[in-house]
Amino acid sequence: MSVGAPIRTVVVVGGGIIAWSAAAALKRHIPSLDVTVVSCPVPDDAIADRIICTLPSITGFHEDLGLTEADTVVGAGSGLRVGTVFDGWAAGLAPYVHAYGSYGSAVEGIPFHQMWLRARAVEAAPPFDQFSLAAELARLRRIGSAAPSTASVGYGLHLRLERYAALMRDFAIHLGVKEHSCSGFEAKLRGDDGFVDSLTLDGGISIGGDLFVDCTGPAASIRSALDDAFENWSSWLPCDRVVSDEDQAADAAAILDRVFATECGWRWEAGSSRGMVYSSAHAKEKAAKDGTEIRMRQGCRSEPWLRNCVAIGDAAVTIEPLEWANLHLAHSQIDRMIAMMPGRDCAPVELREYNRQCVSEARRVRDFVCMHYVTARRDEPFWEDVASMEPPASLSHTLALFAERGRLPYYEEETFSRDSWVAVLLGHGFEPRGTDPLADLLSLDEVNRELKRHRDFIRDFAQAQPMYRDYMSSLSGRAPR
Amino acid sequence: MAGEPIVNVIIVGGGTAGWMTAAALVKLLPSRCRVHLVESEAIGIVGVGEATLPHIRGFNERLGINEAEFMAATRATFKLGIEFRDWGRPGDSYIHPFGTFGSGKGTIDLHHYWSRLAETSAATPPIGDYSMAVTMAYMNRFARPDPDPDKIESTFNYAYQFDAMMFAPFLRRIAEGLGARRTEGRIVDVELNGETGDVAAILLETGERIEGDLFVDCSGFVSLLIGKALAEPFEDWSQWLPCDRAVAMPCRTRTALSPYTSAIAMDAGWRWRIPLQHRTGNGYVYASAFTSDEDARAALVDAVEGEPIAEPRILKFKAGRRVRSWVRNCVAVGLASGFLEPLESTSIYLIQAAISTLVELFPQQKGMSSLDRDEFNRLIDLEYDRIRDFLILHYHATERSGLPFWDHVRTMQVPDTLHEKIDLFRRRGRIAKYREGVFLDASWIAVYVGQRVIPEGHDMRADLPSADVLAQRMEALRSEVRAKASTMPDHRTYIERYCPMEVAA
Repeated sequence: MSVGAPIRTVVVVGGGIIAWSAAAALKRHIPSLDVTVVSCPVPDDAIADRIICTLPSITGFHEDLGLTEADTVVGAGSGLRVGTVFDGWAAGLAPYVHAYGSYGSAVEGIPFHQMWLRARAVEAAPPFDQFSLAAELARLRRIGSAAPSTASVGYGLHLRLERYAALMRDFAIHLGVKEHSCSGFEAKLRGDDGFVDSLTLDGGISIGGDLFVDCTGPAASIRSALDDAFENWSSWLPCDRVVSDEDQAADAAAILDRVFATECGWRWEAGSSRGMVYSSAHAKEKAAKDGTEIRMRQGCRSEPWLRNCVAIGDAAVTIEPLEWANLHLAHSQIDRMIAMMPGRDCAPVELREYNRQCVSEARRVRDFVCMHYVTARRDEPFWEDVASMEPPASLSHTLALFAERGRLPYYEEETFSRDSWVAVLLGHGFEPRGTDPLADLLSLDEVNRELKRHRDFIRDFAQAQPMYRDYMSSLSGRAPR
Repeated sequence: MAGEPIVNVIIVGGGTAGWMTAAALVKLLPSRCRVHLVESEAIGIVGVGEATLPHIRGFNERLGINEAEFMAATRATFKLGIEFRDWGRPGDSYIHPFGTFGSGKGTIDLHHYWSRLAETSAATPPIGDYSMAVTMAYMNRFARPDPDPDKIESTFNYAYQFDAMMFAPFLRRIAEGLGARRTEGRIVDVELNGETGDVAAILLETGERIEGDLFVDCSGFVSLLIGKALAEPFEDWSQWLPCDRAVAMPCRTRTALSPYTSAIAMDAGWRWRIPLQHRTGNGYVYASAFTSDEDARAALVDAVEGEPIAEPRILKFKAGRRVRSWVRNCVAVGLASGFLEPLESTSIYLIQAAISTLVELFPQQKGMSSLDRDEFNRLIDLEYDRIRDFLILHYHATERSGLPFWDHVRTMQVPDTLHEKIDLFRRRGRIAKYREGVFLDASWIAVYVGQRVIPEGHDMRADLPSADVLAQRMEALRSEVRAKASTMPDHRTYIERYCPMEVAA
């Protein structure tokens, strides 16, 4: 066995955020690669390229590239966000916040939510989201400039899509990525082994490469020429339409987004973006009035990487943007592609491990999103249908364990933290029958003291932080012009 | 929670597994259970697992055990890793360290840089030179890991080598102090509930009948409850792990007190060497299909370094595990649940894993939930399966030939999961990810490289520094590791100051 020749030339296809991010990361981390972007118009249904909300993980992606807040926030005009308010998901319960970072803090190895559950079993306790520093900051419209040791806050971004894509393009070209524009192309396969040989652009130019990175959205124009095996999730996630629009009058200082359950899906208010997601089978009439409507089929390509073609973003995984993980998944795929770069032969043993991780990760995001539906409490036909389905086995296992005594199983390639799972489950009123036996080690008085201590700490700490507006203007004041 | 019923726990067997379970339950779940342990002094304990993994520290901490007291009582020494001698080829030696290679914090694992160096220069130092734990071990040094994560002296962990015969009595004092009850007596029968099939009670030779809600089978190889009474089948792994006997014989310690356990390849298996404060444990784990008890005994007597202090003793076992470790109202912990040879010191770790999983899933009512049982069994299976693959790797990744035992293990069919892992590493130094398992990336790297599974390529990101810069940085790391290790105290000196054993009266 020999690892053979290394990959030297990479062709990235697609024209949006995903394609330029992939190209920049490839060139930045493996400078010996010759990277070309074949840029073509981004299709409307490429969700990861079109959603303005990101998870906090984007910061790490930027840091690895060497991009700073001055570039990505000030330069690209992004805003910060710390989470989402879920409104109307559980009838009879108040809206709740799924914020990034910690909820409470563990004492002697006892998870915080176990203490909260114990306290609540005896008497009323403040809602669970009042123990999130991020949620408190958002309520006060403040930003944590200092980092306390007993609570964490994660900051995602509100992107201005065009400015952000331009930033990534400029950065990639600055690193030495080449660009060919076209409005269409044709992929030619090699006869002997079925590898992608080259792309013929509509201008007539032919571009060859060792590896093709397909960022062309759900159609996966290149990857789908190799095979079309697809893991369809629509029985679990029946929403198949997304409508999005812009609201120029939006409150620019809102660092929490809002997601409202509707009769047959949900709608969002996030930064300047408005939109809705629904199931066309359940909608009595066309639900959308304004904005661009797209069709979506949720699921995951069974083998995102086959031969010398790897699908990234919606070309690999399509999922509704309920928890804003679309760009995160694309980033994660990009990082993984680089970390696991095979040789020019793209040996199946290497691709198998890539695909295993990639699919496991996508499935756990699916589980997290699906959990919102399964545990929601509404009585319209759509909600009754989703509540009565049999969830994916890994989600059933998760829910069964949590229902028993608030434990969550460990899964590899998990995107959302335990605190995130707990925040949504408890937000929906999905409460376990019992608590962790270890939580008995603390007396009820100790538990209540701990709850109050943390609550006071959060309030005092948040009060002392700068207002979001002031923070943002000081940031742009400091940034190089 | 207030009003929860108290679960009556009966622990059968009082060796390491039994007393670890008893101590953990009374300490961690005082309001949920009553613990009653039944043991017979007439039945010896196997006392395997004198060498441990770093996880034991967490267990002791949760029990509030003072480290120096524990080490003095069990005549313990510190352990930074396991030395493997003669495995890849006769004459080879490497240490599987409890720690990382390099800082362990970069985006790219150090072994990729090391591979890149090794591809171009035959004079590249062994990868262990870049590990704090390996370097300290070879120099017989010990100090506690530095709490500052930015320092190279923080990049290792440690475990203990101790006298298992003394660990059980030590835990017994704790458990009884916290209210565990103990009954001395031989069990002659197990009574099942005619309707449910649950274990109802155990009957002692004295005629006493002891009832319980939850039974923990710590009876060792005999597997009194789960194996005999409940007839849970045993999954046999001897096709991959053919060693089925061990001959053990302690001797006096003559050489320096090494802060590591040794595993030395032998003609039909391997030999352990575990240095304690007062003696050195020795044993030869062998496959009876490839050598006789007589020859094994002679080979061990021949090999031990110091004056023997006991007659050689033979143990018999079979690699594998019960299909399920929790059946009905009975949980098996330790050897009653399964056996994996002590090549990677996993016996006590497996006991611990079973106990902490049991504590987390401890029954809420007197009736057991099948959900809890299934989850327990799923988690314990994962532990066993991953350790199994890691052990098989040691036998399979060898160039030894000409001896029937080694020819067999070198050429045997290994599980597909392992086959793929080896392939992945050989190509480009990639470790198939398994974060939940006990052995993390550095462990796999140590064994692969130590047994000559050398990657043919490396992570392309490791090409970033120029050849000169890379060579300089690697050399700087190597000298820093060496310099820091050489300022640390000698292992024996550290122990004499910190936790000298109580001299026998």
